[in-house]
Amino acid sequence: MVERRVTVKNRLGLHARAAAQLVRTASEFQSIVRLERADGSAAADAKSILSVLMLAACCGTELRIMADGVDEERAISALEALFQTGFGESDPQV
Amino acid sequence: MRPAGAQPEITIREFIEQAPEKLELRTLAGRRGLDDRRITIARIQKLGLALAGFTHYIHPGRVQIVGQSEIWYLGQLSPDQRREAIARLELGRIACVLVTKGLEPPAEFIIAAEQAGLPLLQTPLVSSTAIQLVTDFLQAALAPREVRHGVLLDVYGLGVLLEGPSGVGKSECALDLIARGHRLVSDDSVEVRRTGPERLIGCAPKLLREHMEIRGLGIINIRDLFGVSAISGPKEVDLVIRLERWNEACEVDRLGVDARTTEILGVNIPLVILPVSPGRTLSILVETAVRIHLLRERGYNAAQRFVRRHAELVREADGGDEQAGE
Repeated sequence: MVERRVTVKNRLGLHARAAAQLVRTASEFQSIVRLERADGSAAADAKSILSVLMLAACCGTELRIMADGVDEERAISALEALFQTGFGESDPQV
Repeated sequence: MRPAGAQPEITIREFIEQAPEKLELRTLAGRRGLDDRRITIARIQKLGLALAGFTHYIHPGRVQIVGQSEIWYLGQLSPDQRREAIARLELGRIACVLVTKGLEPPAEFIIAAEQAGLPLLQTPLVSSTAIQLVTDFLQAALAPREVRHGVLLDVYGLGVLLEGPSGVGKSECALDLIARGHRLVSDDSVEVRRTGPERLIGCAPKLLREHMEIRGLGIINIRDLFGVSAISGPKEVDLVIRLERWNEACEVDRLGVDARTTEILGVNIPLVILPVSPGRTLSILVETAVRIHLLRERGYNAAQRFVRRHAELVREADGGDEQAGE
């Protein structure tokens, strides 16, 4: 299992469209991918949109990504890249 | 699937805000402690003996009730004795005190509570009613809980939790069951609480209520699409059905004689493992699993009967051979 810490950079937080993009990306991999708030208050299956939306992660929220499976390294790098690029939004930071 | 499972607790402010309205809680003193004092145990305590000097059993995490007898007892003490009796309680470590029947606590108590930052609450209800309401509320609020990844449905009146890896078809199976007249409690995430030693209640997280996600259709509202009878409120979890991909399902039951269980929050719940593959109509398999479970609960086990019948057949054949040999 591999684990990375990321911060939500999008101004609107991990909103519905960003969450959908995250779930699409996570679903491309075989590994089990999970997201957890860094404070442990909530956790989600990264392949389930409702589960990710339930995190209600706003801008600045710290999350842990955990991937476990044959392609865990590739999965976690792909997801980390999404967070770092602010899900491709033009004004990721306020 | 499981958020940090810390011991449930609520602050006094949350208690005041969420407790049944009938209690009509008022804060008489000690507002300072509303956010940092916490209730951790559902059972209440009465301060009676502690006021009389026996303070050994005061539990810091419980609501302390002060009723008519405590007020009378304090009333017949001299002001100095009263102050002393109240000081012995060590108000600094008590979660909160609830005065019942709308009684006015003595001034010394109010001053001490204010100094210690101890929330001193009051309700117009008599002790017995107040205790019942407070305990019921706290039992629900402090029940051990866990969020499960899965779909909870009401199938033939039974609470059925569908579990399995993402993408296995839980939501599609649930939608099929809803179209067949069963009801949705929650899709994707189910909040499960243990409200009794053998009782689990599952409900939908507020955000998800009435909604499902179906790949290709997106997020849909079940009540809008299928009507109010297609959704259900909190439901007891009676049966877990785990969907597994055919190649990963190692322990497929071919006889159905042995009853399996899975543990949720320390409660053993009957478990059925269903392998998923193209051509298997999951909703009908789930319905049938529920029918089997209902029959078994009433003491009828078809698989066991069949096995007995087979054993008899073998015995008869065995006896027949012996006769033939003689």
